[in-house]
Amino acid sequence: MNFRDIISGIAFLILGCTVVGVGNGFDAGAAYVPMGVGILMCLFSLSLIFKGVTQRLGASESSSIAVALIDHPGRFMATVACCLIYYLAMPTVGFYSTSTLFIILLSLVLGERRPIVVLGITVGFIILLYGLFAMVLKRPLPVEFFLVS
Amino acid sequence: MFDSLFNALPVALQFGSLVSLFVGTLVGILIGALPGLNPVMAIALMLPLTYGFDPVIALGLVAGIYNGSMYGGAIPAILLKIPGTPAAIATTFDGYPMTRNGQGGLALKTACWSSAVGGIISAIALMTLAPLLAQVTLAFGPTEYFWVAVFGLVSIAVLVGSDISKGMLGALLGVIIGLVGVDTISGAERYTFDSLYLSGGFDLIIVLIGLYAIPPVLEMAEKSNATYYDAGSFKVDASGNALTLIRQHWRTWARSSLIGVSVGILPGAGGNLAALLSYNEAKRKSSNPDSFGTGNPVGVAAAESGNSADNASSMIPSLTLGIPGNLVAALVLGALMIHGLQPGPQLFTKSPDVVFGFMWQMLITAILLLFLGGMVATRLFAQVLRMPTALLVPTTLVLMAVGVYTVKGNMTDLYVMLGFGLLGYLLHRLAFPLAPVVLGVLLGPMAEQNLRLAMLLSQDDVGALFTRPISQGIIALLLLVLFSQVWKMLRKVRQE
Repeated sequence: MNFRDIISGIAFLILGCTVVGVGNGFDAGAAYVPMGVGILMCLFSLSLIFKGVTQRLGASESSSIAVALIDHPGRFMATVACCLIYYLAMPTVGFYSTSTLFIILLSLVLGERRPIVVLGITVGFIILLYGLFAMVLKRPLPVEFFLVS
Repeated sequence: MFDSLFNALPVALQFGSLVSLFVGTLVGILIGALPGLNPVMAIALMLPLTYGFDPVIALGLVAGIYNGSMYGGAIPAILLKIPGTPAAIATTFDGYPMTRNGQGGLALKTACWSSAVGGIISAIALMTLAPLLAQVTLAFGPTEYFWVAVFGLVSIAVLVGSDISKGMLGALLGVIIGLVGVDTISGAERYTFDSLYLSGGFDLIIVLIGLYAIPPVLEMAEKSNATYYDAGSFKVDASGNALTLIRQHWRTWARSSLIGVSVGILPGAGGNLAALLSYNEAKRKSSNPDSFGTGNPVGVAAAESGNSADNASSMIPSLTLGIPGNLVAALVLGALMIHGLQPGPQLFTKSPDVVFGFMWQMLITAILLLFLGGMVATRLFAQVLRMPTALLVPTTLVLMAVGVYTVKGNMTDLYVMLGFGLLGYLLHRLAFPLAPVVLGVLLGPMAEQNLRLAMLLSQDDVGALFTRPISQGIIALLLLVLFSQVWKMLRKVRQE
């Protein structure tokens, strides 16, 4: 955990320096706040790094168990990957078709194995979305591939 | 000012408003009943859908979701010992033992009535205190607003979470996110890196959904193993007469609601703190404190009225000063801004129907809970716990996608939302509180704009920031919050 504080402190320090560096080129009025915020960020990240280092030095005598940053990397990565594929496919395949496939695929990836439950909830949910967005709110969403002329 | 309050009642009772209150309360109870989903996420998801609506209808949905979810969180807390929302933690202490003792129905009814009473008292506090405070804040100039924004930001950053550095870094990160785009005063582009998308700045709602709604869904996905809670098998009896409940709990309701209202006004404190304080106070005042934790209905009444009394009162600083005390209040400010309204004392004179209408809506939704949260509805809502989490994850992600897409019809927004979601997840896992980040995005631009206005008015005299008496009062409060936290930290270090 302390090691994480050091790393996150360094990341914030880099961000703070970047904010100051880029903000230096702004006009006087527009630069005050970005410069101030950047400098404060550097100061607080240094304090976080210092705290992390002192705790790390203290913890070397007694072992400590760090909590995993991601509990289940497989499911996490699969969910993020499915989201990216969903967003990439949506403009060409269409909102309702992509959403249907996305729900079915991700629920299977996450371990749902009852086809009737998956199909029932997916179809019901998509009909609800269609009713709300296409019929009530009349919001334009990416058009379905089979409707593109 | 109070004339405007009564003039707004017909606005809140319009058909469209009533429908939004009804739908919002139902959705709120449903969301609250689903562990893992929270009112912040629900409101953030709902806001993009309200773009085309009248602000009164949009705020009606917010009011319904907020009050509804506070009660909804009690359903799994009582039936399954799983708090549906963080504010329902104290409800599990006696609610679940009551279910085990065969008094689940009484516990739910007590929770419903307590939530409704807490919500009503809180709405009355909002109606009476906010207009008075708004009149005081009419005397505020840019200097005072700058300090108020700094006070809101710093107090949330140091009070939320356990590490001041992390809270401050989160707040500063939020300010930086808010700085991206064209500077409204000089017209200069800042941190846009010649990107057309970035020159417009980050849309508040996209940042909010990304930071607040995606991390819990990702955590749900990680824990998901196609299991679901079977609350339908619980026997829910229909015991508990309304008059008996009032006779038994009116003292607890009054005391806990007072605690909830006070906690709600403070920045950084939330419904969970109000519920825990109310529960402890009820236990301390009880003639039989040992019965708490074993199924004492007073424990449920205290926790539920305490957490619901926090709801409307947390809107007092938001509506009068434009400083949100918690994330739902931040979302209400977001909703107002989306509809072109500027929070602050001018809101009370420029759009009295909207602001006072919202106060009535908070009151009406609290009353609605008594009808929608009744036994039949509660039995029905308990069934939502049957929804498999493996399906809840993708359906929620689709809702987020459609909500964000409909804001501007831009696919890039979806990637930006996911990016903020991953950032939020990472920050959460690294123990950085997320509330200061969101408030930084909201309050950063407000602080900057007022600072620069104050500097223009004083011809770049920095001393002018410290000379006005109201500013001095706010600075004193700010120092008090800072020193109290530093004192607490030093005491902790000394003890270690």
